Amino acid sequence: MTTLQDKATGGYEVKLGRLPTLTGKPTHYCAGCEHGVLTRLIANAIEELGMREKTVLVDSVGCSVLAHDYINTDAIQSPHGRAPAIMTGIKKVRPDLLVFAVQGDGDAVAIGLLELIYAASRGEPITVFLVNNAIYGMTGGQMAPTTPAGMVTTTTPRGRDLKDTGPVMDATKLLSGLEGPSYVKRVFLPVTPIGSTDLYSARGSLEGAKSVLNAFKVQLMGGFSFVEFVSTCSVNWKMSILESKRYSSEVLAKLFPPGLYVDKMGVEKK
Amino acid sequence: MKTEKEFVKGNEALALGALKAGMNAYFAYPITPSSEIPETLAREFKSPEYPEFKIFLQAMNELEAINMVIGAASTGAKAMTATSGPGFSLKQEGISYAAAMEIPFLVVDVNRAGPGLGNLGPEQSDYFQATKGGGHGGYKTIVLAPNSVQEMAAFPALGFSLAFKHRTPVLMLVDAFLGQVKEDIVFPKIAQEKFETPWAATGARGAERHLILSLHLDFEDQSKHAEHLKSKYEEIDMAEQRSEEYLTSDAEVVLVAFGVVSRLCRRAVNELRAKGVRAGLFRPVTLSPFPAKGLKSLVDRGIKKIVVVELNVGQMVFDVKLAVEGKASVDFIYKLGGFLPTSADIVRKVEMISK
Amino acid sequence: MVIIDSEVCKGCSLCVVSCPQKNLKLSESLNRIGYHPVEFHYHGEKGDCTACGLCYWVCPDFAIAEVRRLKQ
Repeated sequence: MTTLQDKATGGYEVKLGRLPTLTGKPTHYCAGCEHGVLTRLIANAIEELGMREKTVLVDSVGCSVLAHDYINTDAIQSPHGRAPAIMTGIKKVRPDLLVFAVQGDGDAVAIGLLELIYAASRGEPITVFLVNNAIYGMTGGQMAPTTPAGMVTTTTPRGRDLKDTGPVMDATKLLSGLEGPSYVKRVFLPVTPIGSTDLYSARGSLEGAKSVLNAFKVQLMGGFSFVEFVSTCSVNWKMSILESKRYSSEVLAKLFPPGLYVDKMGVEKK
Repeated sequence: MKTEKEFVKGNEALALGALKAGMNAYFAYPITPSSEIPETLAREFKSPEYPEFKIFLQAMNELEAINMVIGAASTGAKAMTATSGPGFSLKQEGISYAAAMEIPFLVVDVNRAGPGLGNLGPEQSDYFQATKGGGHGGYKTIVLAPNSVQEMAAFPALGFSLAFKHRTPVLMLVDAFLGQVKEDIVFPKIAQEKFETPWAATGARGAERHLILSLHLDFEDQSKHAEHLKSKYEEIDMAEQRSEEYLTSDAEVVLVAFGVVSRLCRRAVNELRAKGVRAGLFRPVTLSPFPAKGLKSLVDRGIKKIVVVELNVGQMVFDVKLAVEGKASVDFIYKLGGFLPTSADIVRKVEMISK
Repeated sequence: MVIIDSEVCKGCSLCVVSCPQKNLKLSESLNRIGYHPVEFHYHGEKGDCTACGLCYWVCPDFAIAEVRRLKQ
């Protein structure tokens, strides 16, 4: 946990506080969206590594298109799906920089799947964070490759039929089958209802914080790192915020099992 | 067919118009502000009202989508896809191939502000890309520019007709405003045309097989093919120029605009006339072939002042200059970034120019 | 204890449901962006704030600006 010293107020010290790696600008993300949580986790990791001035974030197309408005580092916009290629270009000529992209399931698993597979295969020392909410968020709720069977979206108004649209794509499994990646992990990020109590578990955020930091460490050691964050999209799923957390934990966590899939450098053991 | 008025959004009208024209296949990829087109089609898919609509498939990107369209269309089916700027750029390779192979289909580009990611407001900055062949090699397509939701409903049928008649991809260049606006329309009665496709690749029958290729390694062959395409484009140029005129017969100054801008210009013309300025409007309906004949005839009749109004930094204005062959002055009014000029803006600028 | 930046809070209540001591509740009033922001109560329904920081880690909007603990 980051500890920042602050002027003591009545015997208190700051345990967790404001981060210089965040611009402080209020986000455009929908209430309760994991994009916001991930932004916090990334800002924290960059701060812990002291890399704010040596980081270039690559904006993707989707809900994360405005990431540079929130994370206080240099940034470059990528065309839809091409972030892994852009990051490869940056790292080839400036291997000292930390580069990363937050991609949605459309950006990384649909239009950008080829770029993702090849950057991963070549083991480029870059980091991709995939926010998988099983739908196209920014464009208004169309089917994604990760949309579960039967889900109603604006392009599957009668529920997704896998017969016509193909199977649900598992990016984490796909990448773990390649030789190149050094760190492939899937984290269930949303708060999770605990049984029949009214308390929700925040373990997703804590696991996420560790995973983001590890992913960056792997990159700095020269490996390709990928973390998929199973998330929610209450607005396009047409659920309340807490209903969407429950749905995600009951359906998506089973469809996309969280876990450590590849850890060639043993970063989680350290 | 219903004959009462319906209050419909531009993108929806286009989708329904394509269905009424008997479209067989739609290959989708969402991109704002064109996504209502695939969404409407997803809803109407399997509706008994459109038995010809057999295939709806969401592709994984615009490259998949355009190549799926090419595949379906190469068998003679009526296929379509829609997109916006960044997706339109991705489709250029496919359109170049299809133009070379003479495959007919519709591609809709809902023009948003650009370049790059731009924003979601209307622009007309894809004009060059659409009309001058945004892909590689020397080819042309037919480009239709509707300016009302009524035309959005009617143009898919016209598009398919032109596409199959001339064996060419047909593009519809729609500004983002038109895609999103809702207007009262009456869906036109559209007879679903059956097109003869003797060239289609559907399995060799008898001795003759159909090869749909764009590779001609022998220079003689390639040159012959390019000449063939050239004469085709000349035929299209002669036969398919379309435009609409408003109050041009006694005009001193003529505005030239397409899409939503033409609606603003029409209003500006009325406002100018009320102030005693004899203004008129020339609206290109086909951007390719550019209606140069119509424009030239205005100038030959004695009109000496032309004002082009576009949502870009000057694209159609060059075609206008070429068309008038130096016989009239050509001025230019523009607006960028997703903004629309007001008719008052246009009136003011035209008054300045007319002095 | 928890310092809240109420003007960026979107009332998603993820912190409310994650706090084991129930120190957080949505306010009756509205903030400038039209949401009911969260309020911190040191003496929660289930106990006093232990500065566990879970609220900080689940907040998507940086509304939980600081978590402070008693000086060690």
